[in-house]
Amino acid sequence: MFDLNALMISLGLLADPLTITLLVVGIVLGMIIGILPGLGPPIAIALALPFTFYMETIPSMILLLGIYSAAIYGGSISAIAVGIPGTGAAIATVQDGHKMFKAGRGGEALGFSLTGSIIGGLFSVVCLVVISPLLASLAVKFGPREYLAISVFGLIVVVRVAGKSLPKGLLMGTLGIFLTTWGLDELNGTERFTFGTYHLYEGLPLVPFLVGLFAVSEVLIGSERALQKTRFNMDSLKVKLPGLKTLAGLKDVIFRSSIIGTIIGIIPGEGAAVGAFFAYSEAKRRSKTPEAYGTGIPEGIIAPETANNATVGGALVPTLTLGVPGSPAAAVLLGALLIQGLTPGPKLFSDRPDLMYAIFIGLFVINILMMFIGLLAIRFAARLIMVPTSVIVPTVLLLSFVGIYSVSYSFFNVGVLMGAGILGYVVRKLGYSIAPLSIGFVLGPILENSLRQSLTIADGSFVEFFNSPIGLTIYATLVLTILWGPIISRIRKNSTKA
Amino acid sequence: MLSQRIANTVFALLVILISFYFAWIAEGFEASGLLASSGLPSKFFPQLILGTIIACAIITCYLYGIKGEAGGDAGETVFDNAGDARRGILMLIVSVVCYLSWRSFGFIPMAILLGPLSLLAMGIKQPYIYATVWGLTGCVYLIFTYLLGIQLV
Repeated sequence: MFDLNALMISLGLLADPLTITLLVVGIVLGMIIGILPGLGPPIAIALALPFTFYMETIPSMILLLGIYSAAIYGGSISAIAVGIPGTGAAIATVQDGHKMFKAGRGGEALGFSLTGSIIGGLFSVVCLVVISPLLASLAVKFGPREYLAISVFGLIVVVRVAGKSLPKGLLMGTLGIFLTTWGLDELNGTERFTFGTYHLYEGLPLVPFLVGLFAVSEVLIGSERALQKTRFNMDSLKVKLPGLKTLAGLKDVIFRSSIIGTIIGIIPGEGAAVGAFFAYSEAKRRSKTPEAYGTGIPEGIIAPETANNATVGGALVPTLTLGVPGSPAAAVLLGALLIQGLTPGPKLFSDRPDLMYAIFIGLFVINILMMFIGLLAIRFAARLIMVPTSVIVPTVLLLSFVGIYSVSYSFFNVGVLMGAGILGYVVRKLGYSIAPLSIGFVLGPILENSLRQSLTIADGSFVEFFNSPIGLTIYATLVLTILWGPIISRIRKNSTKA
Repeated sequence: MLSQRIANTVFALLVILISFYFAWIAEGFEASGLLASSGLPSKFFPQLILGTIIACAIITCYLYGIKGEAGGDAGETVFDNAGDARRGILMLIVSVVCYLSWRSFGFIPMAILLGPLSLLAMGIKQPYIYATVWGLTGCVYLIFTYLLGIQLV
């Protein structure tokens, strides 16, 4: 599997001044967009997509990965400084981070957040390097039944965790899948929901749909709070990194959160926010002083921040090996690979080993550089929190318009962007989560093709779906995932009673 | 400002109606030639998914109708206040108008209008914000046109 020649090629490309510049630019841009409330990693990647069309694959992926990692970290800066999470992944950080900031310990809080993010990010890259080639070699043997099982798994899991209401989550997931049935039927060429326009022959385009869903809907929601003003004290913003002794005392929380974040990232459809919440609640549950959480303690910052950055490497595992996105941001990243003419999946490892090595090494470098850039730029970057929403809203809308138009010079794509944006706005206002909608939209074609192929192979028998050891294992894991929570809480309840 | 219960019930009912309409359209899907008999019919998957959407929407309707909430949003409203509603809806209209004006009159008129119209929709009065947004619009235009070589027409 190891290819020295490909490794040397990727090292050569990574050492190119343009790639290094893009790496730094990616981190800075990601941090800036992450800081701005509401604009998370999917939007950050989506807004940078047009700039990558004319680049080579490796530099463009390095830029996008830098943005992805730094945007997740950037969200914690506004969470700590003003109590407004820049991204969903930083919501769990608000509770303790902002309390520490208000107590005059903002520098310490930022130090914990930066350190946790770096450690979580590096841990997940190690897991990505180890797991993804193994999974890719296994995935080569996957047939329609296995891909069906993975798609069902991803969809059900994201529906379960994305919102408070299961029927509403499932409605969004299936709506996303339904929208992928528009266009020519890939198996027999039938026109489906094309409404007489040739634009729809290839279905609704992925990138405009995702950018609309995330960026335009956020612009519309952001416009509602345009008159709110943000003020905070800059004095407390000098980053103070925790010492080794302090970190040694937090090693259990860091290690556990890194594992949680990576695993949650690997589960198709999960995002950084889920990883952060899970790690926070797990740290609190295992703590001897759970009542201290939420009062401004380092554990309350380091647990979610380690986990949310650990989801980055984790999310890339299914994205690169199976073509199934591990998070909404990874779904946009998957779109970037498609634009570059690459098909994410197990064959990517044999077809483009240089790209794989570049991604692995690039992510390592990104996480290490993020430490230095974070230390140097945090005070300047934090000033961006005060940029009025009224300036951000029209600028992001214009960037979305121009970015999507520049992909194919198509007004139809801009129309899809608008349509998806309005749909996203309406459903978000009604309390639906857009994560299942986006994941359903990405998984839809895989789900339909694998279902129809499986049924055709099995002569219409649904029982044959379970006649695959890998598929059966995935379904069993899904059942366990669903039942695990209720079983554990029942056991805890019984043990408390006893 | 508009309870989640009413808004979600109306939305779910609309979803049911539209899904039935799409399921009816799907009945007419036909493959031609040699491919016509290959595998499952094209309508199978869309109708399966539409059936699931309808089932979810019916459950949502039931939850809001009987329990008054789904996922703990009892008593919540779609907009916090009238100002938020006005800004959000006006911004939505502005974005659609700008898209249509781009198609009809070209990029530059749209780009000039987008900033001020958005700011008016949001109720912004400070002139320096208008100037900043116009400046940023100019930067976006210059970057895309001269740096990336994209023809914005």
